[in-house]
Amino acid sequence: MLDTVIQQLLNAAQLGAVYALIALGYTMVYGTIRLINFAHGDIFMLGGYIGFLLVTAVSGMPLVVMMPLAMLLTALVGMLIERVAYRRLRNAQRMSLVITALGVGIFLENLVRLLVGPQARQLPAQLPNGVVELFNGVVVTEDKILIIFISLALMVILWLFVHRTLMGTAMRAVADNKDAVQLMGINLNMVIAVTFAIGSALAAAGGIFFGQAYSIDPYMGIDLGWKAFIAAVIGGIGSIEGAVLGSFLLAGVEVLTVAYLSSNMKNGIAFGLLILLLLLRPNGIMGRPELKKV
Amino acid sequence: MGLLEIRGLSVAYGSIKALHGIDLRIDEGEIVSLLGANGAGKSTTLRAVSRLLPFAEGDILFQGTSLAGLPPHRVVSLGIAHVPEGRGIFPSLTVLENLKLATWTRSRKGSAAALYRPVFDLFPRLEERKSQPAGTLSGGEQQMLALGRAMMTDCRVMLLDEPSMGLSPILVKEVFRAIREINAKGTTVLLVEQNAGMALKIAHRGYVLANGRIVLAGSAEELARDQRVKEAYLGNRAG
Repeated sequence: MLDTVIQQLLNAAQLGAVYALIALGYTMVYGTIRLINFAHGDIFMLGGYIGFLLVTAVSGMPLVVMMPLAMLLTALVGMLIERVAYRRLRNAQRMSLVITALGVGIFLENLVRLLVGPQARQLPAQLPNGVVELFNGVVVTEDKILIIFISLALMVILWLFVHRTLMGTAMRAVADNKDAVQLMGINLNMVIAVTFAIGSALAAAGGIFFGQAYSIDPYMGIDLGWKAFIAAVIGGIGSIEGAVLGSFLLAGVEVLTVAYLSSNMKNGIAFGLLILLLLLRPNGIMGRPELKKV
Repeated sequence: MGLLEIRGLSVAYGSIKALHGIDLRIDEGEIVSLLGANGAGKSTTLRAVSRLLPFAEGDILFQGTSLAGLPPHRVVSLGIAHVPEGRGIFPSLTVLENLKLATWTRSRKGSAAALYRPVFDLFPRLEERKSQPAGTLSGGEQQMLALGRAMMTDCRVMLLDEPSMGLSPILVKEVFRAIREINAKGTTVLLVEQNAGMALKIAHRGYVLANGRIVLAGSAEELARDQRVKEAYLGNRAG
């Protein structure tokens, strides 16, 4: 009994880690330019594929090389998307930007489908998959522990970056007042580009982990993207801590629903939780109420 | 040639023209006051100088160099700081983080403490509250923070948009004393104000804007004595 509970919690932590790596990009981009970047789930997918293509092209490329490289390349794609598709629309109606983001997502899905094919792929297992005994008879696989650990480490690095560096401070300032950021002598476009780069890199890490734990396909970003988006909203969109909290909460609810109730109820419970939470706390768990502009 | 020169500047919001070819000159070391009623085009002028607004016609020269086509952050690095209407502080960042961001274009060599010294000497209250989120400051303290940030950019010209707005008379005096002190240390100031009495007390020269046109210009004393200025802007205000 205890063993299965621990296994389920670890499954939840692994899924939550992947959600969080995606949700952070949603929340950071929303925090800076108030865009729900609906292409973000597809950037997560693209990150998984870039990782897949790297290990296919150079067989034996270790994960410690492949993952940073895939994150870097995906970051460049994220910056490119912002530059080409979103920047001109920054002062346009919100709806134009949202529709554009949806279009970018569909483009990415079809691009990958065209280039790599529609079938699901397995990323070669690159994480050690031995088992570790936690305590009397409770064993866990090493890859699961590593995925959770590396994800948490990335989140800690992100938190430090956002709170301890001048660029991170500028990113938080953009959420407060874009004009004033420029009046500090800061290149707003650069700060926004960096935000997209970081969000995309984290999503790529999520895509690679997802490919390690499960498999990748061109449409994986739709379901996972929505879930991560929900997680970000539950936590309070715009808040980094909220995105992480919401991700683990959502994954926990999902995994436990599948384990102890029924897998058919998974989405019903997840979306139900979203509705319930938004009724109780419209700005999410960590969200702050919208400040009225004076 | 003035430090900052505005020549034939026109700015339009869509099809509505807010400025109709204004000319304005500010010399090094001056406090120049730009007066006028609500909607006369005062803020528009400042936003055009800091390039937050594109301008249709005319030119703005800083030390003889045109600002046309520059993005706002480049204008700051040239030495023009703009304290916008409503102060534009970052409420979720601490006082210190607000000040720190304003050093973006500067080299941050040397001790950080020395960097903040001039600001904390002028506004000791900011030092007391340096770890507080700026959103928790009072209106007067927020205005001090906005001025402090402008100082941190190491600017040669400060564009101040209604620094007295929403402040009690005592705080207005305090803010104006600080502006005078900033100017005494060598920073040129372009001061937009509705509180014409206060503005003309500290300014060397002034311009009066009405409906997007300069209708009057002169020394602060001349303007303060001018019957039209008295009627329009000094009438029922406690100077």
